[in-house]
Amino acid sequence: MKKHPVTRKAASILAASTMAAGLLAGCGGAASGTTTAGGATTKGASTAAATTKAAAGAATTKAASGSAEPVTIKFQYWADNTDYSQLMQDIIKKFNETNGKNITVVGEEQPWDGGAYSENLFNAKMGGSDVDVSTWKLTSTPLYVNNDLLLDLTPYIDKWDKKGDIEDNIYNVMKQAGGDNSKIYVMPWNIQVLYVYYRPSIFEKAGIDHTPTTYQEFLDDIKKCTMDTDGDGKTDVYGFGMRGAKGGQEPWGSFIYGEGGSFDDLTSAGSVQGMQDFIDLYKNGYVPPTATSDGFNEIIANFKSGLTAMTIHHTGSSKDMEATFGDDVSAFAFPAGKGQWTSMGDTETVIFKSCKHPEAAFEWVSYLATGEGQKMWCEGTGNVPVSKTVSQGDFFQNNRFMKASLEGESYAGILPILDTTTEWISTTWPNTVAQALTGEISTEDCMKTLQEGLYGK
Amino acid sequence: MKTKKRSIAPYLLVAPATIIIVCVVFIPVIQAILMSFQSYDLRRPNAIKFIGLGNYIEAFTDTQFLNAVLRTVIWVVLGVGFQFILGFVLALLLNRQFRGRGAIRAVSMIPWVTPGVLIGLMWRWIYDGNFGVLNDILLKLHIIDSAIPFLSQKSTAFPGVIVTIIWQGIPFFALMILAALQGVSRDLYEAAEIDGATKAQELFYITIPSIKNTIYVTGLLRIIWVANSVDVIFNMTEGGPAYSTQTLSVYIYNKANALNLGYASAMAICLALMLLVVVIPYLRMNFKEEKS
Repeated sequence: MKKHPVTRKAASILAASTMAAGLLAGCGGAASGTTTAGGATTKGASTAAATTKAAAGAATTKAASGSAEPVTIKFQYWADNTDYSQLMQDIIKKFNETNGKNITVVGEEQPWDGGAYSENLFNAKMGGSDVDVSTWKLTSTPLYVNNDLLLDLTPYIDKWDKKGDIEDNIYNVMKQAGGDNSKIYVMPWNIQVLYVYYRPSIFEKAGIDHTPTTYQEFLDDIKKCTMDTDGDGKTDVYGFGMRGAKGGQEPWGSFIYGEGGSFDDLTSAGSVQGMQDFIDLYKNGYVPPTATSDGFNEIIANFKSGLTAMTIHHTGSSKDMEATFGDDVSAFAFPAGKGQWTSMGDTETVIFKSCKHPEAAFEWVSYLATGEGQKMWCEGTGNVPVSKTVSQGDFFQNNRFMKASLEGESYAGILPILDTTTEWISTTWPNTVAQALTGEISTEDCMKTLQEGLYGK
Repeated sequence: MKTKKRSIAPYLLVAPATIIIVCVVFIPVIQAILMSFQSYDLRRPNAIKFIGLGNYIEAFTDTQFLNAVLRTVIWVVLGVGFQFILGFVLALLLNRQFRGRGAIRAVSMIPWVTPGVLIGLMWRWIYDGNFGVLNDILLKLHIIDSAIPFLSQKSTAFPGVIVTIIWQGIPFFALMILAALQGVSRDLYEAAEIDGATKAQELFYITIPSIKNTIYVTGLLRIIWVANSVDVIFNMTEGGPAYSTQTLSVYIYNKANALNLGYASAMAICLALMLLVVVIPYLRMNFKEEKS
């Protein structure tokens, strides 16, 4: 048999090129909505959907006896843990059983995945996903609005009888997120206000008899709480659990405002000084040396192990903290300096334009915003309710963590919502701040990079 | 007529595979190439337009891109290099007769069969500066005085992720080389022994030349896979701290994740071209030797 070395050679080079080009396929595929992320969305959804469908199925039978045409709403959500997952399924079940309008919500759970939820959902929607309603973060709004994916909720909210149960300023934040002050694309659901967790026993050991009332006092207390408890010359307790990885921009913002800076101008003298305070805490050893890469899991583990005396988070972790320390954990609102700010974590819902039954979908999101769904979710997760009626309940009035949240509500805010915000949060902020913490760049250069990353050059 | 049927049959047989490859590889590749010449940023869908070489010019003036290229070269050279050396040693050991060889062969494959995401998470906690087992061992052995935040400082983060990728890839080299070693005729070693060859001479004049093709193919595959690898780094450091572990594939992932698909595509094409620069001479050398 005659050999064809040239053909074989060409075939081999072609095969090698194919292998090398594999990564290009990933990039090219993203636009067509057939990326791995999109695929995972559909695949991953099936398990949770199957679980919820069981409950939904039972409800459908019952609802079918009503007068209205049966309607199914596909709802996608994330849950931070298995308890919240079960809670959401209970809320869905209750809604399906009690709405009386033949509406069946089918829940599909997806992982939050450090924020990749929003991007995965976007890929799925661009690829034609039939999700009708989803849980939401405001930062994603410009991307979806620019791609004309969200339903304008303004006419539904305007004729809604419980519109007044939610503060006007919350509607205003929702409007800002959409970039059009006359339209609301996002339905309020619940908020989380960041506050400072502290260990009373460590405060006592450090000779601190009251929680800080000013920003400067807060910095001093961090220094006082940094201790060598066993006398071996090494620090055993750090004053503050700094979050230097993704997500750390929220507690960091409080330092910027504490010195009179703001997100509007990150290069102002106040903003630069706030960053300098942050750097000084790291350089002088008042925070764990792992701070540059510490994310949510690490700051919580450090606090729970007693390695840090204070850290910043919201009520989402309060149950866990109480279970670990009992009474030896408390909270205070981030104190005022030249300015005062704390991050308002937000979780909302949206209805997609592709939804075939927007009225039914609005019934569901309004149930989550002010109805029994609001009460069940906020009591179960410890999040701050947006419904004025629900927030008057004993559960919210008699809880020290909720109290710290409510104290911070008046000055809580969000990062500017721009189309650059997501990348700024996930890549620019953690890496640039790490460069500044490790001395690779100056404080001024760090803030200039952050300013340009957010607002452009 | 009979001859004609014979000539069509092979094409029919390869047609399904060809169609699938065209659909899942070549069409997206063409799409990526087209995108790389556009300002294809889904955050600004109304501003998508043809910009020629704009993305490529931006890449070659982007410090992050240039640093990522350099880091990728180090990542591949050290990662694949040590995987080969240690995999080769492991294969030589596993090729010997000893008790429990089967069990050890199976256990040594664990890093290869473990998903990259799990490997990333596992090593992240092994290296942890506060609770990591590596620090614990080093402290107990009095090798260090205080815990090292391996993945939190620039000087140790990149070596840390390289060690992880080496650990992951050793079994693949070992497996391939072991299979090749078992095909080397014992007669060659017996003849060499009669001629008075040393063990080192046997290794360099019999073993390595006999398994050369396997080493070529395995090395080639690993170069491509390691250069494209994202999962391990992403789950350990996400490219940080301070971009110190951001290889080109991680940078591409970050940009694609930020929906700047035009720029990500341009960088992906640069990476593919870099790989072809390695792959083509590699294959040519292989063919030349095969021909001779």
